[in-house]
Amino acid sequence: MNTKIVKEFEIEQPLEKVWAAIANPEEVVTCVPGAAITEKTDEIHYKGEVVTKFGPIKAKYAGDIEILEMDNENHKMVLKGRGLDSKGKGSADMIMHGDAEEVDGKTKVTFSMDITIVGMLAQFGSRLINDVSDQLINQFVDNFKAKLAGEEVDNTMTGGSMLGTVAKSIFGRKKD
Amino acid sequence: MKCKTSKEIGGMGHSMKRKEDARFIQGKGNYVDDVKLPGMLYMDIVRSPYAYAKIKNIDATKALEIPGVIAVVTGKDLEKYNLHWMPTLMSDTQMVLPTDTVMYQSQEVAAVIATDRYIARDGKEAVMVDYEPMDPLMDPFKALDEDAPVLRADQEGKTDNHIWHWEVGDKEKTADIFNNADITVKQQMHIPRIHVASIETCGCVASYNKVENHLTMYMTTQAPHAIRTVIALVAGHVGLTEERIRVISPDIGGGFGGKVPVYPGYVIAIAVSFLTGAPIKWIEDRSENLQADSFARDYHITAEMAGTKDGKILATRFKVLADHGYTDASANPSKFPTGLFSIGTGSYDYGAAYMEADAVYTNKPPGGVAYRCSFRVTEAVHAIERMTDVFAKKVGKDPAQLRMENFIKKDQFPWASPTGWSYDSGDYHAGLQKAMDAVGYDELRKEQIELRKEGKLMGIGISTFTEVVGAGPSKDFDILGIKMFDSAEIRVHPTGKAIARFGTKSQGQGHETTYAQIVAEELGIPMENIQIEEGDTDTAPYGLGTYASRSTPTAGAAAAMAARKLRDKAKKIAAYLLEVSEEDLEWEPGKFYVKGAPEKMKTIQEIVFASYTNHPEGMEAGFEATHYYDPPNLTFPSGAYICIVDIDPETCDIKVRRFVAIDDCGNIINPMIVQGQVHGGLTQGIAPAMYEELIYDDAGNILNGTFMDYLVPTAVESPSWETGHTITPAPHHPIGAKGVGESPTVGAPPAIVNAIVDAVHHLGIEHLEIPVTPFKLFKELKNVGYFDK
Repeated sequence: MNTKIVKEFEIEQPLEKVWAAIANPEEVVTCVPGAAITEKTDEIHYKGEVVTKFGPIKAKYAGDIEILEMDNENHKMVLKGRGLDSKGKGSADMIMHGDAEEVDGKTKVTFSMDITIVGMLAQFGSRLINDVSDQLINQFVDNFKAKLAGEEVDNTMTGGSMLGTVAKSIFGRKKD
Repeated sequence: MKCKTSKEIGGMGHSMKRKEDARFIQGKGNYVDDVKLPGMLYMDIVRSPYAYAKIKNIDATKALEIPGVIAVVTGKDLEKYNLHWMPTLMSDTQMVLPTDTVMYQSQEVAAVIATDRYIARDGKEAVMVDYEPMDPLMDPFKALDEDAPVLRADQEGKTDNHIWHWEVGDKEKTADIFNNADITVKQQMHIPRIHVASIETCGCVASYNKVENHLTMYMTTQAPHAIRTVIALVAGHVGLTEERIRVISPDIGGGFGGKVPVYPGYVIAIAVSFLTGAPIKWIEDRSENLQADSFARDYHITAEMAGTKDGKILATRFKVLADHGYTDASANPSKFPTGLFSIGTGSYDYGAAYMEADAVYTNKPPGGVAYRCSFRVTEAVHAIERMTDVFAKKVGKDPAQLRMENFIKKDQFPWASPTGWSYDSGDYHAGLQKAMDAVGYDELRKEQIELRKEGKLMGIGISTFTEVVGAGPSKDFDILGIKMFDSAEIRVHPTGKAIARFGTKSQGQGHETTYAQIVAEELGIPMENIQIEEGDTDTAPYGLGTYASRSTPTAGAAAAMAARKLRDKAKKIAAYLLEVSEEDLEWEPGKFYVKGAPEKMKTIQEIVFASYTNHPEGMEAGFEATHYYDPPNLTFPSGAYICIVDIDPETCDIKVRRFVAIDDCGNIINPMIVQGQVHGGLTQGIAPAMYEELIYDDAGNILNGTFMDYLVPTAVESPSWETGHTITPAPHHPIGAKGVGESPTVGAPPAIVNAIVDAVHHLGIEHLEIPVTPFKLFKELKNVGYFDK
């Protein structure tokens, strides 16, 4: 299944500081829930893993990240990620576009991700995947802001609480 | 209906309670999963998360470390015995386990054998498979593109994804009529991929005895004898010849065509039992059943109808694209790649039709099975009944009136259809009139006009279908060369009680009751004293099984014929006992008496006793008969269904207000069972019309592979069905019966869709694809600007 996630947020830090953090995968990944960089192969290739737990489905994706484009001048980047479930239960592919710009002394970060998921997670999680992604991104944004503010960041993701948060956000959602 | 026998005898026409229900309602049925054998091991199956991928490696190390895991079997293991591929019923080939490539999501990849079911499942989770995913081919139309990847590269010389082309009818004559007709209408429609979703999933216990070199196979199969022959053909080379194979099909919790094919799981279980000597049990879970077993339908149809401006149908033309998944694993008679789709000229009197179909491979599960349907009849009936309505709207005629004007008349039977069938009998006018009277058709049309003035959406839909069942006559019908006759063997014991065995296999149809009623009708032995047995190939006579509404037309006829052989013998014995000539004897159910002297008589029980104790000299002792019935023609049940829907103008929720079903299945054996069949069938008819569809995304994922997302209608969704019947006996059938099991599933969907379209046609909607969900209807209404006002 394909899903597209677009997120925009503002951060009260100077553009160059924000960009420096974003442009360094080893740095930024410490804010991504459940993710870790395990190896830097070369300047544009990294190996990493993501552990997610969603209700009964636990998936550990081992993957490759490739920087397709890094434009430090215009603060734009394109990343490609491909992860295979370590037990052969499926895969996830992602193309991410990210850019940052200065707005009134603050920094506005915009990124969009096109994600293709194949396998068990797609079968069973398809109804909730956007909500889960939303939660993960919010968590990432919080972590990222905290990191740049010099605070400690804990990026472990716990399945139970994730499911609970999502359930709350769905069932507690106001009728729109 | 008038009964010839007393209630005590319980022959045809009596609403006898179902004999089998005594055990079912007490939870005492015996299903495959109830079979427990000493030393039995359990099998679970590792399945592919990808729709199309290379298998780079299968690592079973961690699985084998789990205490209780005995073995992990892969395609490479089966390859050593040449058991990694198997033939399908349509002479295609299907992987048992893959050696290098997986072709659809949920395909079998490896089997884990363990000492209990839960350890087997843990073992399955621990098997590590290294895949190299490839882009799957999911769209059947794109499958025919020149640059499409060739999926079946295993087939020598294969350069495309095309499986076969089929056509029937007079192409030129039809084209000529279309070119000159006042009116032509054309509609693209998809009969979506659905699943039979029987309550019991598939499974087996394969028990191979090394000492005896004998296999006993307990399995969920609708056709045990055919399976025995197939096993012998596939495994004969390893020494399993047909006399060493016993297939037992115990109680079955719903088949609907889904338990006709041979699934890889059965074959793996046999192979593992053969190699280990231990009984192997394999039972699918719900998701495996839904995701991996044969699908039904999935026909993309371009349907056309030509006619005069005053509403006379002149010709039809259907073009089909059939998505078969990665192999053609249809369960059709061998000479009929599209099954009996050519019944699609319908109940109407016109002389020209042309139909063609092409089948393609995609990265979806293989199929398709005849889901409660005589091989693709559902698809054909949907096409003709939708087109009849599309045509009626175009010429501005009431769809009931247009049907009445086009029906084949009662005195035109036997009727030669433009695609080659000889319809045996029917009275379509009487059926539709009865349905219209029952529903109050004219008043409803008036009500509809009034409701429209108030802005309310109400629709009336009709389906007047002709079915073709009872495959079939041996000149045309065979499966892998075996002719599609069926059989009955009756043994009457000295005390006048009987056992009768059949080549068919009930999955809920009530054979233990209806077959007993047929024998009771013919011999006058009370049906409660007639034991019916099916499903054990060691005891039952050979037959091709139960599907496509064929049991009553074939095995039911065989029962009557075998009983008549016994009645002839009884007459001889009665003449001997009463010391009169046979010509002097008269039969009434249960006894022979002397004409003009009814007090001089012998009951059937006395006659049977004499056959064992005092049979005439020169006559063979005992009271047994067998008959293999080769039907001279198929039977052609019909029905007139009318559906009334109300649509909520805000939520687009569709409510079936009423549904009247008038069926004509010829003579009725048990009215209560027929009614039950019709209720169940109608519910399975509303399913594809409004709820069910297996949905795949471009990446090959099935998006509704559980009952959380795949909507099977329940009692909540089912309206209160109103049923009735007309009776036009099948002239060539010994008891005049035609079969009814699938008529409602076949006939209901177009009635429902015609009703929904009828409710919104005035707003500019001319067609709706099934399943018609509220969301789909909402989108269509939005498209035509309905919500702009």
